Amino acid sequence: MKKNIIICLLILAPLFARNIYFTRSGKVSFFSSTPIEDIKAENEQVTCVLDLDKGEVSFRIPILGFRFRNGLMQEHFNENYMESDIHPNASFKGKINDWHEIDLTNKVRSIALEGTMTIHGVSKVISEKGNISIDNGNISGDANFQIKVADYDVKIPKILRENIAKVIDVDIQLVLKKK
Amino acid sequence: MIRTIILSTLLFGGLWAQDDLLELIQDDSDVSTPIWGTFKATRIVNAQSIEMPKPRILEFMILHRFGSMSDGFYDLFGMDEAVIRFDLKYGLNDHISLGAGRSSLNKTFDLFSKIRFLRQTKGQGSMPISIALFTKLEMQTITRDMDMPDRLTFDVQALIARKFNRSFSLQIMPTYIHRNLVLTQNEKHELISFGIGGRMKLSKRTSINFDTFFPIGDRQDSYVQSWGMGYDIETGGHVFQLMVTNAQGSFESEYVEHARGQLEDLDLYIGFNITRVFSL
Repeated sequence: MKKNIIICLLILAPLFARNIYFTRSGKVSFFSSTPIEDIKAENEQVTCVLDLDKGEVSFRIPILGFRFRNGLMQEHFNENYMESDIHPNASFKGKINDWHEIDLTNKVRSIALEGTMTIHGVSKVISEKGNISIDNGNISGDANFQIKVADYDVKIPKILRENIAKVIDVDIQLVLKKK
Repeated sequence: MIRTIILSTLLFGGLWAQDDLLELIQDDSDVSTPIWGTFKATRIVNAQSIEMPKPRILEFMILHRFGSMSDGFYDLFGMDEAVIRFDLKYGLNDHISLGAGRSSLNKTFDLFSKIRFLRQTKGQGSMPISIALFTKLEMQTITRDMDMPDRLTFDVQALIARKFNRSFSLQIMPTYIHRNLVLTQNEKHELISFGIGGRMKLSKRTSINFDTFFPIGDRQDSYVQSWGMGYDIETGGHVFQLMVTNAQGSFESEYVEHARGQLEDLDLYIGFNITRVFSL
């Protein structure tokens, strides 16, 4: 019985194989700058999967994975703003525009992504620009864009409005390996 | 053979149905992560909480208790008097913090440390509780005919806490206090008590807190069990804690063993703690 299944799997496997590239250690950082203070956090636990045949891409960003230099900020980020006990992950699900016209080489070329970003339980359709290249079988991608805090229902109390920027800079750096 | 085909159809049916790419790679993100914010401040009301200054953070705390409310409006519910303690503490790393403080009550200086052995986590192989050891050395410096050893008191506490959910946390505190000098023969040098404290959040930034210490073993007749009820307000780098308590001193041997206030005559103390953190 077991043998049969294995044989079946082996025969059928090529039919189902998808051209998948992925990472579990992608980097995302964000930066909030105001005259009063700068706030910066980095996360190196980002999961990203790219379907090379269709140009579809998915991200999962664990909120608890963001590291701040100031531990109290990290606590407040999770407890008061992102509520990571209720919304443990941020995610993006979308596709790269005009994928089949993109010639993937070791030369960095710009792409446009479109899809649904979910942060703090709030989903929003976004389109942003990024870069992609392939080198030694590894696909490198990066993107740099801005997020409006209010778009994702993250409330900043009046007393801290001068400390936290309304628009946050986000930077993504990825190296994807073939599955 | 037919069974095999059906089985494999079922197996691969699952694969076809996957519309999320993330499901295509094995999920090993199920690692355990530490629990944050069991309490807002390093004190519950009077009692030490499991929280300590974060690494490289210097924390300044003012613990202010007014006089007894029993005289009512005459001295504005005790506001004409005050017993004040302030301290500085520093987080060496995730596990160790050290500090020093001074109280106006008996002009008491103190040195203390909080060492966290276990941290509550969630996820795979999670740890259900946090455990820390709190130790303090108190020294009275009030002018009095006393030898140096007689001025010393030692406090040792185990802090065992659990954050049950985003609102509710509970902590138990087996406490040992050693006084080098006691005032009467009936009093003991060694005192053991069992503290319990907790908090219930009202909103993201406010909570209701309580703590009390049950005596284990005999106490002198004048002994009153200590308790405190408080309200926490957190605003970024500050935590304000407003309270009513029956103990006026805010170091361990005072608030655990020397509570004096009685509810009946409104012989209680209004007070507040203010915590301010500095990032070094």
